[in-house]
Amino acid sequence: MTHSSARSRTRRGRAGPARSRVRRGIAAAAAAVLATTLLASCSSDDGKPVLTWYLNPDGVDTLNAIADQCSTEDYDIETELLPTGATDQRVQLARRLAAEDDTTDLMNLDPVFVPEFANAGWLAEMPDDTITEDTLQGIAETARWEDKVYASPMWANTQLLWYRKSLAEETGLDMSKPVTWDQIIDAAASVPGATVGVQGNKYEAYVVWINALIQGAGGVIVSDTEAGIDAKVEIDSEPGREAAAVIEKLASSSAAQSDLSVSNEGTSLPAMFSGPGEFMVNWTFVYKNYAPSPENGITEEQYKDLGWARYPRTLPDEPSKPPVGGIDVAVGAYSKHPDFALEAARCVTNTDAQVALAVEAGLMPATNSAYDAPELAEAYPKDLLTLFRESVDQGGPRPKSAFYATISSALQSVWHSPESVSDSTPKESAEFLKNVLEGKALL
Amino acid sequence: MRKLALPLGVLLVMVWCLLPIAWIVSLSFKSQEAVSNGTDPGFLPLDSFTGWENYQTVWEDEQFRRSIINSIGISLIATILSVALATLAAYAIARLEFRGKRFVLSTALAIAMFPVVSLVSPLFDLWRQFGLYDTWPGLIIPYMSFTLPLAIWTLSAFFREIPWEMEQAAQVDGATSWQAFRKVIVPLAAPGVFTAAILTFFFAWNDFVFGITLTSTEAARPIPAALSFFVGPDPFQRPAGLLAAAAVIATIPIVIIVLLFQRKIVAGLTSGAVKG
Amino acid sequence: MTTTVATPATQAGRQPQEVSDRTRAENRLGMKLVAPALVVMLVVTAFPILRALWLSFYNYSLTAPEDRQFIGIDNYVTALTDSLFWRDIGMTVIYMLVTVAFELVIGFAFAMIMHRVIFARGIIRTSILIPYGIITVVSGFAWQFAFTYQNGFINGWLPFVSADFNWFGDTVPAVIAIMVSEIWKTTPFMSLLLLAGLAQVSEDMIEAAKVDGATWWQRLFKVILPNMRAAIMVAVLFRALDAYRIFDNIFVMTAGAQGTESISFLTYRQSIEQFQLGMGSALAVLLFLSVLLVAFIIVKLFRVDLAQARGES
Repeated sequence: MTHSSARSRTRRGRAGPARSRVRRGIAAAAAAVLATTLLASCSSDDGKPVLTWYLNPDGVDTLNAIADQCSTEDYDIETELLPTGATDQRVQLARRLAAEDDTTDLMNLDPVFVPEFANAGWLAEMPDDTITEDTLQGIAETARWEDKVYASPMWANTQLLWYRKSLAEETGLDMSKPVTWDQIIDAAASVPGATVGVQGNKYEAYVVWINALIQGAGGVIVSDTEAGIDAKVEIDSEPGREAAAVIEKLASSSAAQSDLSVSNEGTSLPAMFSGPGEFMVNWTFVYKNYAPSPENGITEEQYKDLGWARYPRTLPDEPSKPPVGGIDVAVGAYSKHPDFALEAARCVTNTDAQVALAVEAGLMPATNSAYDAPELAEAYPKDLLTLFRESVDQGGPRPKSAFYATISSALQSVWHSPESVSDSTPKESAEFLKNVLEGKALL
Repeated sequence: MRKLALPLGVLLVMVWCLLPIAWIVSLSFKSQEAVSNGTDPGFLPLDSFTGWENYQTVWEDEQFRRSIINSIGISLIATILSVALATLAAYAIARLEFRGKRFVLSTALAIAMFPVVSLVSPLFDLWRQFGLYDTWPGLIIPYMSFTLPLAIWTLSAFFREIPWEMEQAAQVDGATSWQAFRKVIVPLAAPGVFTAAILTFFFAWNDFVFGITLTSTEAARPIPAALSFFVGPDPFQRPAGLLAAAAVIATIPIVIIVLLFQRKIVAGLTSGAVKG
Repeated sequence: MTTTVATPATQAGRQPQEVSDRTRAENRLGMKLVAPALVVMLVVTAFPILRALWLSFYNYSLTAPEDRQFIGIDNYVTALTDSLFWRDIGMTVIYMLVTVAFELVIGFAFAMIMHRVIFARGIIRTSILIPYGIITVVSGFAWQFAFTYQNGFINGWLPFVSADFNWFGDTVPAVIAIMVSEIWKTTPFMSLLLLAGLAQVSEDMIEAAKVDGATWWQRLFKVILPNMRAAIMVAVLFRALDAYRIFDNIFVMTAGAQGTESISFLTYRQSIEQFQLGMGSALAVLLFLSVLLVAFIIVKLFRVDLAQARGES
């Protein structure tokens, strides 16, 4: 039965004009494809070397302008955009470098991946004077690996405690003195609808939070990190348990945002000016983000209600260690034009570039001299600049290990979701991390 | 009541199929601000309607435009090559007796079931040694391998239905097997070939695993990978409105093909998989 | 269903010598015609999987290629004794069973509707082909946005969930969201395969059953379903193996968080994100073997005769 129906179908489909139309269509398509392939293959062929600079998608317009300014008579700098997440960026770059790609000349690297890339031999060494006294301490540390410099800090990020002033007043919390996590969680819980915004999704920024909590209690996740997989796992400790206690407290509090386990730097933003407001730990971009505009619907009055303070303490009498992030520019080890690339790396991270990034894109500088530039004083309140600079300078970096990605993923898989964190989490994660580093457990 | 059941069923099928499409179209007209601040939840863009703004932004995005060119180019080339090879193989399978026929069929079947993810790591390793990483051929080759089984099945099903008497007549008239194939069978088989081409194109257009693992820049990154890496103006927020607009653009070719050739696709799918 | 291809070689009235010449020529031509397709299919599958097998005996990281070290079957021991591996296998099987079950029921209903309907056939075909043709990643995004409580409409439409219910905050709801996207996208394929099977069921038999006083359910279970058994089994086999390899939706919707990871995703993460080419290869081999096992179980359990289904018995 099906045979006959199929046959009639075949016959109907055999009508002459339809067939030739199809054939012509395919031929045209093939021609178009060939044309585009040819075009694509001969676009960059005018003799002058082209340096490719891989950008993370932050302040891209400014970075493109910087790339233009730093292009010289000898070479042009072209930019390529990396994916959004730090993990995806690392994967894309690592795969190019593992393929010994000679067009990966300059790259924006999240500081935590510098040791891994340097250790793999994927980064060209930079002159020692890339890092000077002028570089802020928290970010300077990230550019070195085994006493050599492998990256040039371009901008330094840090987290502050952002809050709504009217909410703090309502709760009676004195924000002029350092506050603790306990205090802000209790304060937010005391006002219906008020929340504490954090980054609790299963991703890098959750580790940023955990790391800051542990360092705030005087501990570290791992020590002796240059030993690679033989590093000493320290998370099963009193500081580790203090950190777990904060997360547990927030997760079970009414101050937790209902998307806590998938929250990121963006999801906690809207809560600031809707309802009673929030306390939120977040990066420096927040200040520019809330600047009143018709698009975000924030009013001048609301903007004046935005307050900032140093990152909350884990323990009442131990100064907090604000998270440090940012971007280092590194040069690929297989670059066809290493000298040009090193020169370009220096140019794109100079003071002018850093000032431009801070003023236009809200990405704060990595050096004191850029912080001192008059343009910054115009663009930001004085006390905020001081706070940014102090936070980067006194901040606590994440473990500096060639296996950082493994350490981070291992932490994420045990500490996520925040609702599941308990007193035993540090112990579990220490055991798991040891097993993973020794290759005895899957990650 | 019984009379109403069928139209109701039809309505149900259509709602099921088209609701998510309507949703993503609706989302593509919502402003990014409303989406990131969650001010306009709900199905339709009410006070957050932005017109074509999202489409304009997406279209001006160089990376996305390149990914469209990549996807169209790679999918078309893979389709043409794959269907060409499949036509030869399917003719042999439907028409000739030869050693290794069962082997070809079981290989095709095995590859149709192959877990693609298990290949990405060794393929990446191979491709970086051959310089195929992040190039068009680097994607075209695996797309061919994985569309060949489908194409061979669909085509051999069509070929079985072709009135072979005509070929035999040609052979009796003194034509060789090859001439008979080219002069008589190729024109008869064209509709089947075309159906196989559409199904192959769908596969290549949809691929994600190879797209994210064997490319790293806009030199070869296809649309699905570009969508998953899509970056909006706000790096901390998945740009829902823009993504929706990009997704709609990526779906337009599929809708056009479906509208034009729905009858052929259905025929190809059913004959290829069940009878083929 | 037996289509005997009448080849020239089997035709009477020729000399034996001629016959064997023709057979040999045909044999050669046949091999020549399938060779290119066969080579392309094997180049991208057989060679890499053999290479994966070889690499799986090494401790081999992308960041330290010179430290590659032969470690025998350690990778397999680690994987097979790891709770994560078995949890992901279990999760993958759940994805497979649940999605295929739903697709089978909904797909069958759709096939019945398409089979019976006489009006608007083109429109139905078009609408059903759109989910089939749409990019899985797009489907994943559409449903992810639909389920998020800040922007989605699902929470507003479902009476029994609160407006700020976070679907991606826990394993069960997150898995449900992923399954919805998977089921939505692949049900049309299932229904088209079943439609082809329905077309093979003789209307006369259904009419005869009707005359004998069989109810609608009896006709369905006693006449229609048994007669389209082959079509159902092929559809189940294809979809089950496809569902077992679920990856795209998980990648887009949760990136494996909340325990939604499948075995494919685990393999991907080991080799691509963790750079562990050795362990990743071992998992790739295990994934390959597990797919074979699933295929074997389905074929044996349901006695799917692919040859018969292909009309070659």
